[in-house]
Formats: sequence, C-alpha cells, structure tokens
Amino acid sequence: MAKEDVEKTLAELSRDLGESKARLEEAQRVAHVGHWEWDLETDVVVWSDETYRIFGLSPQERPMDLATVRAMVHPDDREPLYRGVDQDLVAGQRPSGEFRIVRPSGEVRTVSSLTSERWSSLPGDTKRDASGRPYKLFGTIQDITDRKRSEEAFQEISRKLQESNAMLEEAQRIANVGYYSWNLIENRVIWSDEVYRIYGLDPRQGAIDLAKVGEMIHPEDRELVFAAAEKALQSGTPADIEHRLVRPNGEVRTIHSVGTVKRDASGRAYEMFGTAQDITERKRSEEALKRSQFYLSEGQRIAHIGSWAFDDSGHYWSDELYKIYGLDPQNGAPTVEQYLALIHPQDRASMAETIKRMQEEHRGFDQIERIIRPDGQVRYIRAVAVPVMEQGLFKGFIGTTMDVTEQELLTQELRREQAYLAEAQSLTHIGSWATNFYTKQMFHLSDETFRLHGFDPRNGPIPLEHFFETIHPEDRAGVTATLEQAIHTRTDYDIREFRVCHPDGTLRFLRTIGHHNPSSEMGYYVGITMDITQRKQAEQEREKLRQLEANLAHINRVNMMGELAAALAHEIKQPIAAAVANAGACLGFLEGERPDIFEAREAASGTIGSARRAAEIIDHVRSLFKKSFPQREPVVVNELIREVALLLHNDSRRNSVTVHLELAENLPEVAGDRVQLEQVLMNLMLNAIEAMRDAGGDLTITSQPTDDGHLVVSVRDTGLGVPANKIDQIFDTFYTTKPQGTGMGLAISRSIVESHGGRLWATSDSGRGATFRFTLPYEGSMGT
Amino acid sequence: MSTLSSPIVFIVDDDEDMRLSMQRVLKTVGLRAELFAKPQDFLQRNIPDSPSCLVLDVRLPGMGGLEVQHKLIEAGINIPIIFITAHGDIPMTVKAMKSGAVEFLTKPFRHQEFLDAIQQALQRDQLSRRHRNEIAELQGRYKGLTARERKVMDLVVSGMQTKQIAAVLGTSEITAAVHRGHVMHKMQAGSPAELGSMAERLKLSANR
Repeated sequence: MAKEDVEKTLAELSRDLGESKARLEEAQRVAHVGHWEWDLETDVVVWSDETYRIFGLSPQERPMDLATVRAMVHPDDREPLYRGVDQDLVAGQRPSGEFRIVRPSGEVRTVSSLTSERWSSLPGDTKRDASGRPYKLFGTIQDITDRKRSEEAFQEISRKLQESNAMLEEAQRIANVGYYSWNLIENRVIWSDEVYRIYGLDPRQGAIDLAKVGEMIHPEDRELVFAAAEKALQSGTPADIEHRLVRPNGEVRTIHSVGTVKRDASGRAYEMFGTAQDITERKRSEEALKRSQFYLSEGQRIAHIGSWAFDDSGHYWSDELYKIYGLDPQNGAPTVEQYLALIHPQDRASMAETIKRMQEEHRGFDQIERIIRPDGQVRYIRAVAVPVMEQGLFKGFIGTTMDVTEQELLTQELRREQAYLAEAQSLTHIGSWATNFYTKQMFHLSDETFRLHGFDPRNGPIPLEHFFETIHPEDRAGVTATLEQAIHTRTDYDIREFRVCHPDGTLRFLRTIGHHNPSSEMGYYVGITMDITQRKQAEQEREKLRQLEANLAHINRVNMMGELAAALAHEIKQPIAAAVANAGACLGFLEGERPDIFEAREAASGTIGSARRAAEIIDHVRSLFKKSFPQREPVVVNELIREVALLLHNDSRRNSVTVHLELAENLPEVAGDRVQLEQVLMNLMLNAIEAMRDAGGDLTITSQPTDDGHLVVSVRDTGLGVPANKIDQIFDTFYTTKPQGTGMGLAISRSIVESHGGRLWATSDSGRGATFRFTLPYEGSMGT
Repeated sequence: MSTLSSPIVFIVDDDEDMRLSMQRVLKTVGLRAELFAKPQDFLQRNIPDSPSCLVLDVRLPGMGGLEVQHKLIEAGINIPIIFITAHGDIPMTVKAMKSGAVEFLTKPFRHQEFLDAIQQALQRDQLSRRHRNEIAELQGRYKGLTARERKVMDLVVSGMQTKQIAAVLGTSEITAAVHRGHVMHKMQAGSPAELGSMAERLKLSANR
C-alpha cells in the first residue's frame, strides 16, 4: 500500500475516529451517560466530558484521581460503594452500583455506574497484571436522578391511588354508596363491592347480568327505573331516581340511584356510570321525624303549649306559640321590646328583669305571667326557659310556653278557698285531716291540726307518732283503743274528749271525729279535730260554780239553822239554867232546921224572872223572821225555780230523784226578796228530796196563775207523805221528823211566804207523797 | 279560923241571872261567892291565901273559859276550876279536864250537883295548899344550910356513912360527923330516911 494511501486511509480513519468520538460524546450527552477509566495502580481516573458534566464540572476541567472522585460521592454512600467495589474485584466480578454524588454546587444527583464486561474479561488483556488481576477498570456512569424521581413519583401516585381506592371503598361502605358501570354496547354491568352489599349479594360472586338486576328491583318500581334509564339515554340528562329493591332474603330497601351516560366522539352512548345509595334508614328517620314533628305540633295545638328556641342561628317560635300570643306567624318572632309590650303592665317589670337575667347570666326560669293579646284578652302564661349547654358552652335557650289561664284562675280560686278555710279553722280551732292510721300515711293535715297539737306547721311534716305522743298519758290508751276498734270494725268514731300536752306545757282538751269511707282502704279516715278547751273550761267553771253555789246554799242553810239553833239553845239555856239554880237555891233555903224564908222568896222570884226571860228570847227569835224585810224587787218566779232546781241537781241525782218542771209561761213578776224566796223553794225541794232519800222518786215543781191575782207554786214529792194528823204540826217551830233537822225550815218558810202576802200549806195522802203549795201576789196587786 | 282563911268561890259568867242564881245556891250552904262578868276582871284580882275555887263559863265574851284556864296555869296560879256550859261537847270537856279542871257541868245543872263540885274543889285546894306550905317550910330550912352542909346532905341522902363522907370531902371523920349533925338539926330530920324523903320532896318542888 502506498504511503499516500496509507496517510489518506489514516486521515480518513482519523476523521472517522473523530466523528465517531464526537458522536459518542453527543450520544453520551443526550443520554446523560459518561465513561471513565480508573488505573488501579496509580489511582488516576480519566473521565469523559459527560462524566465531568454529571459531576457538575466543566469537561476536562482538571485531571481526576480517586481521592477527588471519592470526595464527591455522597458521604452516606461512600463507604458502602468502595467496600462493594473491593469485594467485587476480589471476587473477580464487575463492580457496579447506584449511588449519590454531591456536585460542587451542593446539588445531589443519583448516578448508576457499570464496569465494562469486555475490559475486565478479555483474556491476555494487557490491562491485567501477571496474576490476572486487572489493574485498570473502564466503565460508564449515568445520571439517573430524573428517572429515579419519576419512578418514585409513579410509585407515590400508585400508592395514593390504592389508598384512595381503599378509602373510596370504605366511604362507599359507610355511606352505603356504591358505583356501577353499565357497558351499553356489551350490555354488561360492573358493580362496586358496596353495590353488591346494597343488593344483599356477595361481592365475590362475579359479574351480574342486567336481567338479574331487573328482577331484584321492586316490582312496583321496575317500570319507573327503566323509564328513567331510557330517558337518560335519550335526553342525556343524568338519571336520578329513588326506588325500592328486594334483597334475596326478601328484605326491601330503598335506593337512591344516579347515573350519567358516557358517549364517544361520534355521540354514541357506550356506558352509563352512576352511584347507588341505600337510603332506607334515612328514609325511615325522615318519615319518623315528619311524624314526630306532626305529633309535636298537633300536641302543642291540643295542649296550648308553644315552644321556642333562641340561639346563634336565630329565634324560632312554634305555630302554637304565635297562637297563644295572638300573633301572626307571618311577621316572625317578636323582638324583646315587642314581647315585653305584650306582657301585662303589672308583670312587665318582673319579666324584663327575668329576660335581663336570662341574657346576662344565662339563667333559665319558670314563671307565670299575664299577657294582653292584641285583641285585648288577658291570659295567664306559664313560661319555662332552659339554657342549652354544649360541652360547657352556652348555646342558647329552649323553652315552652303554656296558656294556663283556666288553671291559674282555678288555682287562685282554690287558694282563696284554702285561705278562707284555714282562717275559719284558725278561728274555730277546728283542724281537718286525712290519714291512714293503718299505714301511718298522712294525706292531708291542715295547719290548724298542727297547731291543735302544739306544733308549728311551718316546721314541715311530722310523723303520725308524734301527734299521738302529745296525747296526755292518761288519755292515750283510751284514744288508741277507740281508734283501733274503729279501724278494726271499719266504722266512724267520735272521741268526745281527750287531753293533749303541748311542748310548751299547756294542756288542751280536744275532740276528734273520724269518718271512715267504706270504699277506701283499711284505716283510712277523713276527719276533724277541734279544741274544746274553752267549752270544757267553761263547763268546768260552770259546774264548779254550780257546785259551789249548791254547797254554799247548803252550808248557808245548814249553818243558818245550826247557828240559829245553837244561838237559840244557848240563849234559852241561860235563863233556864238560872231558873233551875234559883229553884234549887229556893229549896235549899227552905230546907234545914231554920228555913230562910226571905232568901227562899228571893230565889223563887228569881226563878220566875229567869223563866220569863226564856219566853222573851223565843218571842224575839220569831220576831226576827217577821220583821226582816230588806229587799223588794221584781222576781221572775220561774227563773228562780229553775235556778234552785239546778242548784239541787246533785242532791236529786244522788238520791235518784227525777226533777220535773211544769212551769206556766208568761207569768207576771212578783215583788219580793229574791234570797228569801229562794230559801223557801230550796227548803221545800230539799225536804221533798229528803223525803224520797232511800227509795228515790219524782219531784215535780209547777207554777200556775190563780184567778185572784196570785201565782201558785207547788212542790210535789212521791215520798211517804205526811200523816193527816200531823199536817198542821209540821209548820210549828222546832217540829221535825229528821234526825238532823232543826225543825225551823217550814216555820221560817211560812213566815217568809206570809211576809210576802202569800200563804204556804201542805196536802198529803199518806203513803203517796206530799205536796207543798205557796201563793204569791203579782207585783201590781201586792198588798201592804 | 279567921275570915281570911274562910273559903271563897269565884264565879265568872257573863249572864247576870246565872251569876246571881249560883251565888244564891252557894249561900244556902254558907259559902261566900265573888262574882265577875268578865274574865279579865277576875284575872286582875289577887287570889287570897284561903281555900278557893273558880266557876268558869266556857262561852264568855272576849275570852273563852278554856283560855282563862290556860292563862292561870301559865301564871302559876293554882286554883281548881269548875266549868259550866250551855252545851258542852266531848272534845272540849276532855281538854278542860286534862288541863286540871275539877268538873264540867252542863247547864242547866241541879243545885246539889253544883254544890258537890264546889266542895270537891275546895277540898282539893286545901290539900294542895297544905302541901305547898310544907314544901315552903322545907325550902326555908334548906336555905338555912351552908354550902358545905348542903353537900353533906346530898352525900347522906345518897346513903354514905360518915367515914365515906369524910373521904369524899377530904376532912377528918369528926368534922364530917359535926356537919352531919348540923344538917340533921337544921332540917329537923329524925333519921337519914326522913332526910331522904325531904330531899325527894324538895327535888320535886324544884322540878315543878
């Protein structure tokens, strides 16, 4: 070959080489692939231009050695990279790896480096030392940062997709929403798992054909569903329908289904995609809500109760509330000012205060106020407000308002009645109660009942036992026995008198009457308890007084008689004793051998004087009764008779004597000494009672007018009577048939009657009692 | 006997007839009577040293008979009392008798009954007067004893011999015998037994 040819060929070759080098460079630049040589002995590294670029350097900027390269490897990857390289070389394998480098700008890039197979595996290769161990490596390096990133981004997207798919599934499951895809061309349906579940099918059972779907739709809704689908296909508007389906187990569910039609470029519909949601529960609760709202408004209407709510979202009034206030719902809920204007002027201030407290302190209320409706009607309203708190935060108020006019008027009436009753009970000291003595329940106890037992009603309820404990110990057993007997026999009772001891020590007399209602349970009594202390005290006083009077009269009478008799006896005995002594002396003077006639005569005349004196004394006593006329006053004789009969009540009762009064009405008064006439009546009546002392009998006192202007009083007994021959003697002084008698009574009585211008006489049928009568002239006809 | 020693009957009664009739009855047996209408008048009168008794009406104006009796006892005046009354009851009688009344006569009483009661009363008064006189005599003699002699009298009465008396007094037997002789003489006692009786009566009167 000629030199020129050779040169020419060399030149061509050189050009070709240059071109191929340039192409390689270009290829490397486009592909971000560089190559490198690493002399293992010198650690000198030769890089291609692209390799420099990959490392963030200008091509051929400087020579490279291993230490420099090493420094540029990302610190985290450095050790693993070179350890791997060493291990691979020892094992006779080609080192390769992915690792990160740090460019001088600080930018981190991910690179992939491969060692050439050819260079390291060629046999007899000069780049191997004698032991066959390579001393030079050749390889490529590629910047894979962008690829790496897109890989990661892809993985991220794919992961997110999976997640969102899972979430979608979950969301569908929770919301009972599934989706479907209906391939219109192939007439095939794809369902999401939830749609399977909605239809009561197993998601794993595979594709569903449209015929089956049609069967599962509720027969009544089937036509509707297909019509809607057809319409969507025709018009292009989405189908939106609620329909029922029947699950294989027969359960009926309500479904809300929405579907859109997808069309290709030519406008041909190829798919219908949509969702299906099980709205059975929502449907049911909607219906329940509707129902309860209906009931509520109906209930409010019937009960005249309105409700309202007041919170951030506004002010709500129920229809009935508008009606209660007489307002038009069209105008909406009133403002506070408008509301207050509706309140009765007398209640307005207090309501304003309530609203203020409600707003400022979030305090609820429950009060009754009056309103005046626009038509002028006054109504009583009970308004209740309750603050609404959510997790400790005030949210607003809810409340009800009730028209309580009728109840309020009744309540007021009741309160008035109760007040009157309590007042009446307090005035009359009569308490009312309703108690079950058997179960010890007390259903009603008026305040006065508390007070009657010495308790203060303001101190609250008191157990039944405490009431019993106030009963006087001596009366307790009796009261309990009566009560138990009544409870046992289920009868009424009336405990006419028992004593209670108040805590402050006062003793009161009570009477209690219990009425047993036969239809009620055992031991249930309604009754009253009354304080009879005053009556009792008055009775006792009267009885005591009467007793005292009777005793006094008795004592007076006995004393008078006794005193009189004693005085009389003493008076008379003195002259008699003197007479006896004188007579004795007279005898003494006449006795003996030398009678002293003079002295004897003196003594005899002394005797006469003394005897005469005795007679004078008796005359004097008689004259006492005749002369003493201290009083003349108008006297109602019947009244006198009644008084004396009352005074002698005990005597007559003690002697089993029944007293009958037969008194003529409208008798004129007589003029006389009341005390003396009383004395006469008492005398006659006591005599009569004493005459019947052992056998008892009847004592009859009559009063009658006579024709001659007198009235006649008779006192008749049923005792033994007076023998006819004694009938006149009995009026003699000192005549008596009684062991304790003075024999003065009838004599004095006759004197008294006669001094009044009347007469006193007796008649008797022996063995059939005696009758004493006396007359008294009327006041006007009274003689001198 | 002198007029001083003649018995006297005091009569207290508010009834003049009664007083006079009683005086008349007493006169039939020759007894002197002194009359008082009011008990106060009698109480002011000094009781003479002669046998006497008191006729006292139970019922008297101002002061009852029983009260008069009480006042007399209190004043140490020892006079027998005969009560008279128009109507006496048993408790009153018992009370009067317990306080030393001689008799309780109910009016009207028979004159002999009255006179018997008066006689009984006067006798009782006489006896008690004599008794009182004797005591006074003894007291007089006793007052004549020296202190030493009174001591010796006590010892004799207690039954001691002269020797023992000497031992108690710390004197010789002879001295004791002399004292004893004086006592017996002054008291006019014939024997220690008589001396003992005298001492007994003196003690009684002292206790009274």
